[in-house]
Amino acid sequence: MRILLMGSPNVGKSAIFSRLTGTHVVASNYPGTTVEFTRGHLKMGEETAELIDVPGAYTLEPTNRAEEVAVEMVDEGDVIVNVVDATNLERNLYLTLQLLQTGKPMVVALNMWDEALEHGINIDAEDLEKHLGVPVIPTCAISGEGVKSLTDRLEEADQGDLKVVSEDIWQRIGEIIEDVQHIEYRHPTFRQVLSHATVHPLIGPFIAMLVLFLSFFFVIHTGEWLIGNVMEPAFELAWEPVTVWISAALGGEGFIHGVLIGDLIEGEIDMENSFGLLTTGLFIPIAVILPFIFCFYFILSLLEDIGYLPRLGVLIDTLMHRMGLHGLSIVPMMLGLGCNVPGAMAGRILETRKERFIALTLVSICVPCMAQIAMVAGLLGDAGITGLAVVFMTLLILWVALGVSMKYFLKGETPEILVDIPPYRLPYWKSLVKKVYMRMKGFVREALPYVLLGVFLVQLLYTLGIIALLDRAFTPVVQTLFGLPGTAVGPLIVGFLRKDVAVGMLAPLGLNTRQLIVASVILVIYFPCAATFVVLFKELGIRDLLKASGVMIVVVTVVGTGLNALLRIAGL
Amino acid sequence: MCKNLAELGKGESGEVIGFDSGHMASRRFQSMGIRPGKIISRVSSQLMGGPVTVSVDGRQTAMGRGMAAKVKVKVLNQ
Repeated sequence: MRILLMGSPNVGKSAIFSRLTGTHVVASNYPGTTVEFTRGHLKMGEETAELIDVPGAYTLEPTNRAEEVAVEMVDEGDVIVNVVDATNLERNLYLTLQLLQTGKPMVVALNMWDEALEHGINIDAEDLEKHLGVPVIPTCAISGEGVKSLTDRLEEADQGDLKVVSEDIWQRIGEIIEDVQHIEYRHPTFRQVLSHATVHPLIGPFIAMLVLFLSFFFVIHTGEWLIGNVMEPAFELAWEPVTVWISAALGGEGFIHGVLIGDLIEGEIDMENSFGLLTTGLFIPIAVILPFIFCFYFILSLLEDIGYLPRLGVLIDTLMHRMGLHGLSIVPMMLGLGCNVPGAMAGRILETRKERFIALTLVSICVPCMAQIAMVAGLLGDAGITGLAVVFMTLLILWVALGVSMKYFLKGETPEILVDIPPYRLPYWKSLVKKVYMRMKGFVREALPYVLLGVFLVQLLYTLGIIALLDRAFTPVVQTLFGLPGTAVGPLIVGFLRKDVAVGMLAPLGLNTRQLIVASVILVIYFPCAATFVVLFKELGIRDLLKASGVMIVVVTVVGTGLNALLRIAGL
Repeated sequence: MCKNLAELGKGESGEVIGFDSGHMASRRFQSMGIRPGKIISRVSSQLMGGPVTVSVDGRQTAMGRGMAAKVKVKVLNQ
């Protein structure tokens, strides 16, 4: 049996899903998290049923790709669990009534029940059940209340007897609401006042800049603190002796030693620069990148759960329109800062092909992922904040400039923003911790194999002398254009696979600050890593992917050359 | 007095009387809870023609200025 979990965006579907299946699913407080559906299994008595978390949709008349997926999936389900936001019943009933017309057996989960009561919204669930003709169960997915009775009553799923033609749906909803819902007036709470302030035309942008600045500051500083005070000492204490022992056992040289331990630097293992699978291959992702990933996802998840991101989308809407996008495109950009892969996938919440092309091209060219940021911060951090600032300012200016030019050159429309602004919610710590943990686990699972492969490849290419060959071939190009030594070609090649490994390879090259800045910027722009490239192909198709790659080549040449020249003039 | 939603003053509220738009757009408005008979008020609007935030039934929705201009409202006397 196949059960579909359906509802509007941001009603707690993903939270209900993880409650029902015990599977960990990322759930957030902004529209459009579930762009790819998730499956899980649910025990119903003796039977095991398949549960599918369908992307959120306001109606069965799709307006974007995420909604299209939802509509296509209705036919494939045997039972529908319609999750409804009790604080927003009237809007949610539209989808409920449409779903009832499909004739599929259904139950309704009246979610966020506790929050509705807090807002003075009283809903008579039994009465609603009579109107709809299907079981209605009040739930609170966050605390788990009501989820048990939801499971128990799944068997009672019914087709219902409410038949209505689409022209009359709203009238019918009006009648139902009149009957089952009673709202007591409550004074505006602190959260509502805050809600107004954050979308205020003058105070709002100020708060946004403060929030973004503090977030950035927190991630960079806490990340570096964790590396220096927790991860590095831990590696030194627990892992380095093991590698020293293995190195000695292997005789300190040879191909196998090169692959596992890497090169000894002044006769000793250097976790950052030896470039063996067991040294740098583990040290980079776990000790250097993971702390940054943790800090970033902690902040992002917090902003998501509180409900800040849609407001940020509203504030930045005007700027985004200059770039052929609307405000909600900030979601793929923010996710892209963690990892470009989910960033590119989140482009599905955008309606038109033009928007998706612009958003995905911008993510893959101008948005460095956290793994890359961690490495660049480590590399340039010693030279003070200036180097880092130049890298990020360059990318930011490029982001706007490229967006503006793509808007100018590309045909097609950019629809206006239309977005539900959910009330601010206090984050539920337990689910926040779980979410951060899941995202970190995702990073380790997805990225670690690639990093190891990258490190292995580096050893192989050096051993076989291929890098030296390419060095000679490309030296004139990188030297004339970007002012980089031929040895920087190796990192550029590895960058096709993993950017973090590539940045790591820059460390032993002895580059000066100007060269480090130029190389870091080029590595962000010139080509997405292999995993992102695959997703771009899936999302854009071959033609648009080739177009985006063309843009990349032009941009990297222009920006690399220009930045090198400018920095020389500035005397770096 | 009739206005469209984009013309509604800050803090002013009105009753939705109809849409000046195609079928699809009206549906999207309706699915966000904006429909004839509803009392709607303007919470804020961003500078330089940016989006307008409105409130219906205590729930906020943000929309582009052009979209807001398609919602016809009867201004309510305070």
